[in-house]
Amino acid sequence: MLTVPDVALAPLLPILIVLAGALCSTLLGFWLPRRTLTFVNLAALVLSGVGMVTLWNGAESSFAGGLRADNAALLLGLTILVGSALTLLVSLDTAYRARVSFPEFDAMLMYAVTGCLLIAFSGDLIVMLIGLEIMSLSGYVLATLQQSRRAEEAGLKYFLLGAVGSAILIYGIALLYGATGSLTYAGIAERASGLTPANLGILVAGALLLLSGFGFKVALAPFHQWTPDVYGGAPTSVSLFLSTVVKVAAFAGLLRVFGGALADAPGWQPVLQILTAATLIVGNLAALFQTNFKRMLAYSAVAHTGFLALTLLGQPDLGGAALSYYLLVYTFMTAAALAIVAALQRGEEGMEISDLRGLYHRHPAYAVALAVCLASLAGLPPFAGFFGKYLAFQAAFQNGYVGLSVLAALSSVAALVYYLRPGMLLFMPDRTPAREYAHGQRPATTLALAVCLAGITVLGILPNLWYGWGANPDIWRVLAGR
Amino acid sequence: MIHLFIFLPLLGSLLMGLFPRQWRDEVAVAVTLLTLGLGVALWASGGTGLFSVPWVEALGITYSVQLSGVSLVLALVTAFMTFVAVLYGRQRVENPWVMLALVLSMETGLLGIFAARDLVLFYVFFEDALLPALLMLAMFGGPSRMRALVKFAAYTLLGSLLMLLSIIGVKWLGDSPTFALADLVQHPVTGPAQTWLYLGFLAAMAVKLPLWPMHAWLPDFHEQNHASGVPDVMGTLYKVGGYGLFTFALPLFPDASLELRPVLMGLAAFTALYAAWIAFRQTEWKRLLAYAGLSHMGFVALGVFSMNETAVIGAMYLLAFQNLYTGALFLGVGMLQERVGSLDTRVGGVMTQAGALGGLTMALWFASIAVPGLAGFVGEFSVLLGAYQVSPWLAFVAGLTTIAAAAYALNAFQTTFWGGRPHGAVNVRDLRGAEWPVLALPLAVALFFGVYSAPALNLIQPAVRGVLSAVGGN
Repeated sequence: MLTVPDVALAPLLPILIVLAGALCSTLLGFWLPRRTLTFVNLAALVLSGVGMVTLWNGAESSFAGGLRADNAALLLGLTILVGSALTLLVSLDTAYRARVSFPEFDAMLMYAVTGCLLIAFSGDLIVMLIGLEIMSLSGYVLATLQQSRRAEEAGLKYFLLGAVGSAILIYGIALLYGATGSLTYAGIAERASGLTPANLGILVAGALLLLSGFGFKVALAPFHQWTPDVYGGAPTSVSLFLSTVVKVAAFAGLLRVFGGALADAPGWQPVLQILTAATLIVGNLAALFQTNFKRMLAYSAVAHTGFLALTLLGQPDLGGAALSYYLLVYTFMTAAALAIVAALQRGEEGMEISDLRGLYHRHPAYAVALAVCLASLAGLPPFAGFFGKYLAFQAAFQNGYVGLSVLAALSSVAALVYYLRPGMLLFMPDRTPAREYAHGQRPATTLALAVCLAGITVLGILPNLWYGWGANPDIWRVLAGR
Repeated sequence: MIHLFIFLPLLGSLLMGLFPRQWRDEVAVAVTLLTLGLGVALWASGGTGLFSVPWVEALGITYSVQLSGVSLVLALVTAFMTFVAVLYGRQRVENPWVMLALVLSMETGLLGIFAARDLVLFYVFFEDALLPALLMLAMFGGPSRMRALVKFAAYTLLGSLLMLLSIIGVKWLGDSPTFALADLVQHPVTGPAQTWLYLGFLAAMAVKLPLWPMHAWLPDFHEQNHASGVPDVMGTLYKVGGYGLFTFALPLFPDASLELRPVLMGLAAFTALYAAWIAFRQTEWKRLLAYAGLSHMGFVALGVFSMNETAVIGAMYLLAFQNLYTGALFLGVGMLQERVGSLDTRVGGVMTQAGALGGLTMALWFASIAVPGLAGFVGEFSVLLGAYQVSPWLAFVAGLTTIAAAAYALNAFQTTFWGGRPHGAVNVRDLRGAEWPVLALPLAVALFFGVYSAPALNLIQPAVRGVLSAVGGN
């Protein structure tokens, strides 16, 4: 007897709109110039966002719970859309110089966003895996699009390590299925608590493999080694995308799996604790010794992964809310910093930290904007990074991880030093000739920066604007769809 | 009105860029004067009650501010010294408006620190005062400012992040609904957890105060700042550690304060004496002043940690008025540097040509080394008197500092202002124009409150009694 699958289109709509944008870019790319397509894609992102807002509080699902448009998905999905829109805006100004200005860039980007959204909306491990693979494959292509040795090396590294990560992840999924006999988050969560010892062992092994697989995707130490090379070697607008949108999506997956499906499962918390500690130490210390600003931002992204992972150790109702806030703020900060690098760099390897000296006297607005980003990344109030850090501390602290919170505080001091150095160099007097790319119009980048800065300051002074949405604990109790 | 008082300087600094370039200095002066006027009006109306509205409701963070008692005194002194600093800065600093804007935004941070009655709000203002200080140092600092910057920022942030964890812990372990001080006091944390949280809080305050061994950033910070001394004035106001300990640490961690009292008092007394001894060896005016300030702060800490009423009153008195004379001395050093071109103490004979500068500087030094009749004396004497009742030996050790202070101050003053003028030295002009009020106004206030301390004591005494009666100290 053939049963008709339960397909509801409404929760799928935001994803379908983005997919439509991707298909448009693929097909119309033969006739339309790239810039036009970028505007089409921006419109698609906005439409998708509108779709998400209308779905708010609807808690609709499709494919018998395989795809869920609950509030958690929508919050993370909106963050993904914001990051993607920023990437598109920045690419309007810089893609030509980076020699990636062809329609395929947009197409790949939109496919990647589709995958990211699938992860955020996933209700079972298969949908999550499909989303992850779409995202990763598009990511590999994006990293290699530019015809240069550096980009090819970055792409290849990304591909090889990403493939290993995916393989581990799939193996973990298989073990989870073996242990619980279910692939949906709700099913796993239901059965995880009443397992025989033999099955429990398989469950723990599966959970740890999943953790390592995700560890590759979000750059948790010691699985982070590809990050600086890939972020540093890829064109800057691609680095921007990889370090914000892709990371948000991977964290959405982590939250779904570990905050939802495996929330009650034993074994993974101590391991995640160790990985978080290692990430905080390695990321912050390595960033301290970078001389290239773009590479430094790459390591800072690793360090922020540590903070983000701290939220996963909290109770889901606090940790999820903290994560959703931190991810949005992180997207704004990192995107803005990399957008400035993209606008001012001479070549795709970014700029040296010493090149920033005296930027205030040459480009005051960019310098102030970059200083705000750095202050926010360092977690200084009144910028939003402060509340992000605060919430992460709070989530971990209140779940009993006091030692880890103290370690996070200590490693933040190292972070402060490496953010401070470029931040202060910006304002020091300098009489040598400028080292920035001085030509070209950058209206789109300026717009993107304005959005980011408004986000950083407004969310810093009035965090409730976003956190008020995510603070409702009910959102995060149903992560597994129970 | 209290909100206007706190945020007017920030508003001024943000709007300053809109004015034509030649008016911006006047705008800064006007804003600081207006702020000071508002402060005085607040004082005249007897301070303000507690104003509290939720800020981030989901997290229990409130916007709670109040200016009364100790916080009002400190805020007034801050507003006054900012006015004086701006008055001097506008004619001394080249292209001054950027620095004046930073001074103004820092003033908001400082006033906010004193007004905040919510721990997270306090933390936010605490860090906000840091940013302009860092920028001033970066933009106008000396040649090796990067080292000073990193040191300063690393120390400060290490402390304040630990404090942030403590703040989260105090609310969570005490199960308080909000971070407002009143709520937290009603939901105290007890037992060993309190001691740990106190230590976290202390980490931040000991850096700011600063207390040995967390003081290493201080001399570098002052040495590398702009020679005019304007950023240093704001830097001396930066010593909010004593205030934070008094307002937040004592009520929140009474048992831990009592338990750690001997250790901390010892540390404070040692800081005072050690700093005075180091100051004696300095040959650079700003480093000398930095160590002198450190020594004063040792006194403040001694007073606060002793939890004795007289001593705490003295500490708050000292904390408030130390800003006046040390700040003015920093500006005086800036004037000296403008005239002789260096900050070295071994100049010699400046007095013969710049008598007024020398005379005012000397009077300010007298205030600083606690000569009776000037504000410093009231504070230091009360601290020693109170601390003696708690621990005579430590009071004795700290008391030695007053002798050391006279030695370093007079020694440095003598080598700079007296003695023979070296051959071929540049001619030194005396004070003129706005430089007169810049030095004379703080001195006048220090003299006034040295002779007639009632107006300040009327504010400080009830506040101290209130805190100590709740804590149960003696």
